[in-house]
Amino acid sequence: MTVFGGKWQDLPDYILGVTKEIWEDRRIHALNDYYAPDIIVRSPASVVVGNGGVIAATMATLAEFPDRALLGEDVIWCTDGGDGFLSSHRLISTATHTAPGVYGPASGRRLRYRILADCHVRDGVIDDEWLVRDQSAIVRQMGTDAATFARDLIAKEGGPEACVRPLTPQNDVAGPYAGQGNDNEWGRRYASVLTRIMSADMAAVSDSYDRAVISHYPGGDTGHGHAPVDHFWMSLRASFPDAVFRAEHVMGRDDPHMPPRAAIRWSLSGSHSGWGTFGPPTGAEVYVMGISQAEFGSLGAAAPRIRLEHTLTDETAIWKQIHLHTGSHND
Amino acid sequence: MTESFDGFSPRWADFPDYILGITQEIWEGRGIGTLHNYYAKDVVMRFPNALVTGNAAVMSGTMATLVEFPDRQLLGEDVIWSGDADTGYLSSHRIITTGTHTGHGVFGAPTGRTFSISVIADCAARENTIFDEWLIRDYGGLVKQLGFDQKDFARQSIEDEGGADACVRPFTPDQDIDGGYNGRGNDNACGARYADLLSRIMDLDFNVIGEEHDRAVLAEYPGATTVRGTGGVEEFWMGLRSSFPDARFEIHHQIGREDPMMSPRAALRWSLTGKHTGWGVFGKPTGAPVHVMGLSHAEFGPWGLRRETALYDEISIWKQILMHTG
Repeated sequence: MTVFGGKWQDLPDYILGVTKEIWEDRRIHALNDYYAPDIIVRSPASVVVGNGGVIAATMATLAEFPDRALLGEDVIWCTDGGDGFLSSHRLISTATHTAPGVYGPASGRRLRYRILADCHVRDGVIDDEWLVRDQSAIVRQMGTDAATFARDLIAKEGGPEACVRPLTPQNDVAGPYAGQGNDNEWGRRYASVLTRIMSADMAAVSDSYDRAVISHYPGGDTGHGHAPVDHFWMSLRASFPDAVFRAEHVMGRDDPHMPPRAAIRWSLSGSHSGWGTFGPPTGAEVYVMGISQAEFGSLGAAAPRIRLEHTLTDETAIWKQIHLHTGSHND
Repeated sequence: MTESFDGFSPRWADFPDYILGITQEIWEGRGIGTLHNYYAKDVVMRFPNALVTGNAAVMSGTMATLVEFPDRQLLGEDVIWSGDADTGYLSSHRIITTGTHTGHGVFGAPTGRTFSISVIADCAARENTIFDEWLIRDYGGLVKQLGFDQKDFARQSIEDEGGADACVRPFTPDQDIDGGYNGRGNDNACGARYADLLSRIMDLDFNVIGEEHDRAVLAEYPGATTVRGTGGVEEFWMGLRSSFPDARFEIHHQIGREDPMMSPRAALRWSLTGKHTGWGVFGKPTGAPVHVMGLSHAEFGPWGLRRETALYDEISIWKQILMHTG
């Protein structure tokens, strides 16, 4: 089997190949071929329309972090019902801050952070994207924290009126892909686990996650066992107890050589009205875009449970929304 | 699977269930006395830092650990197994163990520090009883996380145990006792693939890492070191091999498995036996005779080896080096 005119064996091969070609192999101009001119890239920090800025931003990143590598850990995908695909790509990025740039003078710091990117691909061209970078891992490794970074960013971008607006349903732009995933059983199972957790049914953690589950959360946090899973989801939900949770896009896959796995893009939309990850409640209206991936498995007769979870939100974008509400960017 | 699960209590659904179940019962469930049943009276246990025989020693060791780390948890990540009722079942059990140093013991006064390290335990079992064992704890990672220097810690333990002549001897093949398990694993292709891969690395064919590993490989190594990408994998294996360039590499036990809902995976027990004659992770060559006991697990995916846990005990290596240099 090949896709997109024979250069690629399958969709994962395309996604992994294009990423490496652009970044490590330095064929940045290939973005002209692989990204649609009017692509919409949504990250929690912003909504960007058009390919124009992407090449410039790629070069700016490579100027600041010349050895940046992007290691594709997994590609969980489905078809879009037509001749296109939706890929949820999990990457580890490593880089050394060896030149000055948006993060300030060269610090020599080594970065390692995760990215989850959902891309819609048709005819070998990416035309719609949802991306969550573990921005709080980056800023921690640069020696600051998400709240401080967000405060400084508002100032750097010209203050609360002029600064780049984080993604919200109001500034979102509809793109070519409106699919909601596939109907594979593992996607449905994972969606029901997250929905239970978001309904404060925290027993879902011990019911559905393996005792030895490995979890990876924002800030580059890695956990073992039920407690870190409980802690992450509880603290997130506790910050936005009245927010509306929606599983926006749900996929599952059974592939050879791989355990059953699932990818979910979700949102939490509402006010910062509780104590949790984000400190004292401020009442700020917040939109959280999250992407999660899970691997299920069983060592034998036991019922399948989640053995590995990756969830990313961008804590700096959440803090930015909180600061813009409280005005504490002036502090 | 259950039809070949002979001789075990019907309480256990299968062999992994038995291994995970008794581990939890002994440690978190505090059923230390159940070791009377679950461990053979004359069990042989090979740790990198000592050869231990008899379940009485196992029970006192378990208690000493729980006194020092009362909240110790053992999270069983995987059980890669082979065998049958005749040769005995062999479980290669990978565990993440966590805890807080709140009690007195080998590490001195409580430091209040927490740890999280990997363990791989190869246990041979028959009729509900473990009778032969090879176990590696990432002791170097524990020492590091409790705030000690590995080499200093090894030096101190030699001293505490009465000096180089009197101290507890790290495990070497000449001390070994036949505990009754003589299986070599199974002939699954995935086990053979991993064995071939490690053998080629040990033959200095390091380019195999670029060919056979997923470029996003995630690996756990001694010293509680996590690496991502092939560079870190090469650094680990080369750092070890370079310290003992003339040592003999042997694979003693090899399992591969393809289970539903799991990636194809493999478990190996291996060793390096020779002299510390090269520069590597153990510093200046000393010529010390060294035996490195190793246990490792690997998972293969569509793009090659994607996860690896390889363990040896750094403290026991330092101990062998320091016992030689004085």
